[in-house]
Amino acid sequence: MLNFEEELKKFKPSLEIEDAEDIIYNQDLDDMSDVLIKLLKDAKQEAESTKRSK
Amino acid sequence: MAIATYKKLESLSNFFYNDGLEKAGVRDLSGAIDSLQQSLKMDKNNIDARNLLGLIYYEIGEVVAALSEWVISKNLRPEDNIADEYMDMVRNSPAKLENINQTIKKFNIALNYCHQDSLDLAVIQLKKVLTINPGFIKAHILLALLYLKGGNYDRVKVEAGKVLKLDTGNLTARRYLKEAENMIAPGEGGKLASDTSSSKNDDIIRYNSGNEMIIQPRKQSAFTKSGSIWGIVLGMILGIAAACFLILPQRIESINSNTKEKIANISEESDSKSAKIAEYERQIQNLKTENDKLTKEIGGYEGGDNTSISSASNSLMKAIGIYLNDPSDIDGMVQAMDKVNIDSIKRSSYPDFYALYDALIEKVGPKLAAPYLKDGVDAYKKKDYDTAIQKLNKAKQYDGENNVNILFNLANSYYEKENKDAKDIAAAKELYKKIVDDFPNSQSAKTAKTKLAEINSSGD
Repeated sequence: MLNFEEELKKFKPSLEIEDAEDIIYNQDLDDMSDVLIKLLKDAKQEAESTKRSK
Repeated sequence: MAIATYKKLESLSNFFYNDGLEKAGVRDLSGAIDSLQQSLKMDKNNIDARNLLGLIYYEIGEVVAALSEWVISKNLRPEDNIADEYMDMVRNSPAKLENINQTIKKFNIALNYCHQDSLDLAVIQLKKVLTINPGFIKAHILLALLYLKGGNYDRVKVEAGKVLKLDTGNLTARRYLKEAENMIAPGEGGKLASDTSSSKNDDIIRYNSGNEMIIQPRKQSAFTKSGSIWGIVLGMILGIAAACFLILPQRIESINSNTKEKIANISEESDSKSAKIAEYERQIQNLKTENDKLTKEIGGYEGGDNTSISSASNSLMKAIGIYLNDPSDIDGMVQAMDKVNIDSIKRSSYPDFYALYDALIEKVGPKLAAPYLKDGVDAYKKKDYDTAIQKLNKAKQYDGENNVNILFNLANSYYEKENKDAKDIAAAKELYKKIVDDFPNSQSAKTAKTKLAEINSSGD
């Protein structure tokens, strides 16, 4: 038996034309390569900080 | 980052894109969306994946999401991008875009109704949405959920079927369909599983006859049920309320409108009457002016000191009559002529009267003047200048042109009068001048010259 309230929560309001600009500007466009670059950058910074502390 | 890693990511992105494309090919739109989103997570610059994702969004009625994907795609690759065509397609039919936007708004309103527990209103709204945009999958699914909640399992099946026709891989639609099928599966004694749970509450009997579901309401007497009576009472109350809120204001407005119209008419009438009154007042004023003018004119005809022309004529006639009967009766003529105030009768207006008057004066003027001259001189000697002026003026009237004594004594009376004013001096000066001009050789003329010199020197 489905729970109506729970099912209803899954429905989100549809995007209206007036909101299009905000949606485009705020869309998260990061892909896997961005994530990897960030990871590498963080690892490098961590390594440098460890080196300095020694 | 190593190129190999980047190549790997690009390859994965392409793999997901191909998967998405394949799913889209068999109208598994939900699956295609998942795959394409994965593809873009691997490589955001996969333009084909992004454009296809936009296209699928458009297909399921999410126009704004579609447009945003195409705009981003265009931004990432400005040249040689099919997103241009898609956006042109939308841009060239603004009416359709507006229509779709309206359905989106209505869907959001329906969703709001659901949260407010106004499920009936939500169903109505969603039906409207789907009439305008039958491809709006989310609306179909929400409607199916509402039917599921309301126990309309057949309709759930219909809606879920429509969704699965548009999107074969829609898991939500499949779940609802399965739920509905479970609910309408035959239970014990031929009754539906759903009926066993709901029949206790809604007092209806449902059973399957072949493939048809028969819903038979239990027979009830309207008057035996208190609920029905309450319904009738409620209906009456609502009817009265409707009359009060709908008919009464209209009626009041109508009465107000009539009253305003009447007031406007009365006001117009009043204005028109005011204008007429002003016109009449103006006419009255004109008539008064004309009346005054005519009265003055009549006064002119009648004479200034209430001696009418007719009475003057009568007196003249009487004097002429006396002259004709007895020319020596000077006293009688003097008495008759005394009533003729010749100064108040215009010569130009009564030429005949004057002709007669002049004829009489020519005959008896000096004789008529004599008693007045005598009385005037006597008064002058007594220094009663006012009486002298009065008498001598009368004498002048009868014989003023020929008798220098009358003019001289009259001039002296004016000149020597006590409390004389500028008018008296002017009269004296004129008479002295006349004496000098008309009677230059007389003794009086010499004196008149002296007097004139005195007057002129005193005037300077």
